[in-house]
Amino acid sequence: MKYWHETVAVAQRILLELWRRRRSLIFWSAFPVLVLLLNGMILAERANLETAQAFQQAAPATLVGAALFFSCLGGSVATVVSEREQQTLKRLFISPLSGVSYFLGIFVAHSAIGIGQTLLVWAIAAFLGAQFQGNILLIVLIILLSILSYVGVGFILGTQLARRTEDVNALVAAFGVPLLILGGAFLPASLFPETLLKLAKLNPIYHMNEALTNVAANGDEFVDITSHFWFLMIFAVLMVAGGWLSYNRMLQVERRL
Amino acid sequence: MLRIEGLKKVYGQRSVLQGLSLHIPPRQIYGLLGPNGAGKTTTINILCNLLNADGGNVLIHNQPASDATKALIGVAPQENLIYKSLTCEENLNFFAQIYGLSKRQRQVQVQSCLAAVGLADRAQSPAETLSGGMQRRLSMAIALVHQPKLVVLDEPTTGLDIEARYEIWELIRHLQNQGMTILLTTHLLDEAERLCQRIGILKQGRIVAEGSLPELRRLIPAQEILTIQTPDEEKAIDRAQTLGFPHRRYGSDLAFWLPKALELKEIIAHFDGIPLDSISRQPVRLEHIYVEITQRNADEG
Repeated sequence: MKYWHETVAVAQRILLELWRRRRSLIFWSAFPVLVLLLNGMILAERANLETAQAFQQAAPATLVGAALFFSCLGGSVATVVSEREQQTLKRLFISPLSGVSYFLGIFVAHSAIGIGQTLLVWAIAAFLGAQFQGNILLIVLIILLSILSYVGVGFILGTQLARRTEDVNALVAAFGVPLLILGGAFLPASLFPETLLKLAKLNPIYHMNEALTNVAANGDEFVDITSHFWFLMIFAVLMVAGGWLSYNRMLQVERRL
Repeated sequence: MLRIEGLKKVYGQRSVLQGLSLHIPPRQIYGLLGPNGAGKTTTINILCNLLNADGGNVLIHNQPASDATKALIGVAPQENLIYKSLTCEENLNFFAQIYGLSKRQRQVQVQSCLAAVGLADRAQSPAETLSGGMQRRLSMAIALVHQPKLVVLDEPTTGLDIEARYEIWELIRHLQNQGMTILLTTHLLDEAERLCQRIGILKQGRIVAEGSLPELRRLIPAQEILTIQTPDEEKAIDRAQTLGFPHRRYGSDLAFWLPKALELKEIIAHFDGIPLDSISRQPVRLEHIYVEITQRNADEG
């Protein structure tokens, strides 16, 4: 119960802070909508797809490849960095809050945002005629694993590399945008040259995209996406473990008044 | 309430705490003074279980300091560590949740803490819109929200204007009246003088003097401190020596210890023939004791 109460408290606080500032929420809403519309229109035109089909294909990549990346990875880096900058982390260190609850709180808060983005992207795509027929549980699982991966990476970056808020943008721009392109968030991986495709297969965003597109847009089952799913699962576990180790390393240095 | 015995902490080759011992009974305000680097913040870190001691014991409410005792302590750190975009009520509510208070307890405690620190009418104001003094009071309210047994106030009035200081002092007295035990660290000696029942002077990781203000005053064999301004200080010092008045410098001020209270005309008569620009007398203050103790220990060292 202790972990539950603490997790809820941290998640509520993060969401409340985001709500108060609103700016991030507006960006995180506008960004996937714009990317979805652009991706959908480009696909419809260049791949000769009907509008509904184009948006059906574009929605999953837009969601896990672009929307969740900025909200869940960028958002969790920003949360940790802002706590370090405001020094409120110190206040949390002197409280009984456990590190597990802190991580889970950030995960839950960003999951809530991710779910909101999912509903937004799905609703717009559906409004434009897209139909999502895959296994809903599998879709939710892929989305949650993607969020978990992003939050884990966010913890690593936020605790180890980003010291100030300005660093967040630099990190996301330097590493994030190339990874997104290579993951097929903006251009389908089927257009990649062979060598780039081999490289893309090492990119977790590629596996998130492929897994979700195949299940949600094409109606594939678990057996059809096992390689993508396990890559994503292992990556998520590694990132959570990495995030946890990084957090503990930060504690050793900063756990002082 | 708080008992520290033989506390030691070493950073590399540097011994920061060298057998620190102190005891604070319940409902007392204890002032821990000392120059920068004396070990005050290290002591608080150990109390809060943020650092492990290299020796000695810390007992809080008869329990060794550990994660379990975190809930017994309320700490208001030097900086205002608050969530600026949240309202006062939301800040308190968050920390109350972290400390495991039920919804009903939270409702009561949040309102009661806001009232205690005089922020009841600003409950819905975002913390970033509060003045520096109000933010400090909010920070103190956060330290109190879980009803701790021991409140640690780390330089609570540093950086505040005099009005805000008065408010914080009033609040600290109020907390004591509510039955709380308070450990106060400060560089402001008049603050310690006004508030603390007992004072410990920390120097190089150990308590070098401790007691109530009257007890500490006995460490200086003077009834009053005479401060003068004269263009001929050498002559004034020579005259004072013949009279048996030890002299000290407090910053640039030249002062003499008067072994007994003298009338002003007697003092002026003693310094007859020496041009005096100004002359003032005051009782022995904590400032004089502090300088004497820390200086004496430095000389001995």
